[in-house]
Amino acid sequence: MNTYYLLISAALFALGAYGVLARRSAILVFMSVELMLNAANLALVVFAREQGSPAGQAVALLLIALAAAEVAVGLALVVAIYRTRESTLVDDLAELKG
Amino acid sequence: MIVFNLLAGALLLLTGFLSVYLRNAVHAALALAANFVVMGTVYMVLQARFLGWVQIIVYAGAIMVLFVFVIMLLHAAQAEVGFDPLPWMRPAALAVAAVGFLALAWALGAARAPLAAKASAALLKGGTALALGPELWNTWRYPVLLVAALLLVATVAAVALIRPGKEGA
Repeated sequence: MNTYYLLISAALFALGAYGVLARRSAILVFMSVELMLNAANLALVVFAREQGSPAGQAVALLLIALAAAEVAVGLALVVAIYRTRESTLVDDLAELKG
Repeated sequence: MIVFNLLAGALLLLTGFLSVYLRNAVHAALALAANFVVMGTVYMVLQARFLGWVQIIVYAGAIMVLFVFVIMLLHAAQAEVGFDPLPWMRPAALAVAAVGFLALAWALGAARAPLAAKASAALLKGGTALALGPELWNTWRYPVLLVAALLLVATVAAVALIRPGKEGA
């Protein structure tokens, strides 16, 4: 059962990675990042279940708080960029390309 | 139990796939919210009951509402908008995801030393707040304080970033 859930966690992480690379709207890129963070959380909880140690669950709880902070700042950035650009597309933000 | 595991796994993969596949951002956000709810129930089955409820309340509740709110606010429901400057990006992303999945699956073959299911369940005590609290406030007390400070900074930063009258335009 543990390996089964770890495989699902790996698959969700890969799906999130695909979304981060292939999506072109900043909001959808953020949602894919959330999917990746959740996959990592699932792996942590499975490892805690496997080892009988609550440390994995404690770290997963801290990760949820970190993800909340990340979403707050990230969405504020998206809104701030939208105000000046009228766009949420990552392709429109190419000033720093070398 | 086996039925639950198969159903939960299938739902997790399906909603995860839909959240990166659907064209409409609101639909993708709802698929992701469903993914988070199923993930919460899986946590509860994996002896992490407190974490399961936190997942449903914080992720499926607060964070996804924030996402849907911003999508509505910015009229950003459409993911596709005409000209694609990087047409090779989609197959490249698919290749990266496939290689990443294979690497992670391969890493699972490394030696792990799991306890018997019953022994580890006795140690975790269901992962209730009563079981998790002492761990958080003894071993992880400084990380907890740091994350609390970070949340405060993030809140202030979010408010400062979208403060009206600061565009300078």
